[in-house]
Amino acid sequence: MSRTKRLALMAALAAIALTIFVAEAQLPPPVPIPGIKLGLSNIVTLVAMAVLGRREAGAVLAVRILLGSVFTGSVSALIFSAAGGLFAYLVMCLTVNLFPRKLLWVVSTFAALAHNAGQLAAAVWVSGTPSILVYAPALVASGVVTGVFTGFGAMYLIRALERLNRGPASK
Amino acid sequence: MFSALFILGCGVFLWLKNTGDAGSVADIWLDGELIESIDLNAVTIPYEFEVSSEYGSNVIHVSHGAIAVTEADCPDQICVAQGAIADSAIPIVCMPHRLVIEIRGEP
Repeated sequence: MSRTKRLALMAALAAIALTIFVAEAQLPPPVPIPGIKLGLSNIVTLVAMAVLGRREAGAVLAVRILLGSVFTGSVSALIFSAAGGLFAYLVMCLTVNLFPRKLLWVVSTFAALAHNAGQLAAAVWVSGTPSILVYAPALVASGVVTGVFTGFGAMYLIRALERLNRGPASK
Repeated sequence: MFSALFILGCGVFLWLKNTGDAGSVADIWLDGELIESIDLNAVTIPYEFEVSSEYGSNVIHVSHGAIAVTEADCPDQICVAQGAIADSAIPIVCMPHRLVIEIRGEP
């Protein structure tokens, strides 16, 4: 892939992630437990990491988190989003080459768990109330579900992208 | 392995939900600071008050032995959906407004 093509793909992925993030923020929360949501935009981070690389995925993620908090108007949620995103990104970087592409959903699940851990750590730190750690088991359970779900979403998207790259339009 | 984690997480959370002490004092934390402590057993007539900060505002409903958030100007409304709490098991959290309400045992 040429540098220009990579840059264009990064920009497109960042835009897609941002759109998914803003759209998801409009949905009511699935369960009345703070910190739980599907995290569909993480599909894009995973795809960026698998198709482009670690640095590119980090850039896409950083753009999505920063602009996402601006576009959803909840700048106060930025710190939780950023802490979760950073933890998830680090875990993704460490595990992405440990598992074959067929097991990308495992990477995704570890990342989701790390995201929830980072988010909860930030919440404890900001609120000064360690008692909210009782939500940890619920966040572990939800991290497994959302991680597997977004992981399979990313795998389908990668497969579709590869088919697109093999198409007659590209050389 | 992950499904075991899922079941364990759900199980532990449900278990924690039922292990709270029937406390009497509600502490209201805003942005890391304790702004209000209410002895819920001393409340006879239910009342409401508003807690506001730069992040947003919540209406807190206090009654004998229980406390709830009844209104919030945040989009997710998680704290409102949670309803009233009467024991120390699960605190009410409104993270976008940095508001936490927890109940503890002794006054």
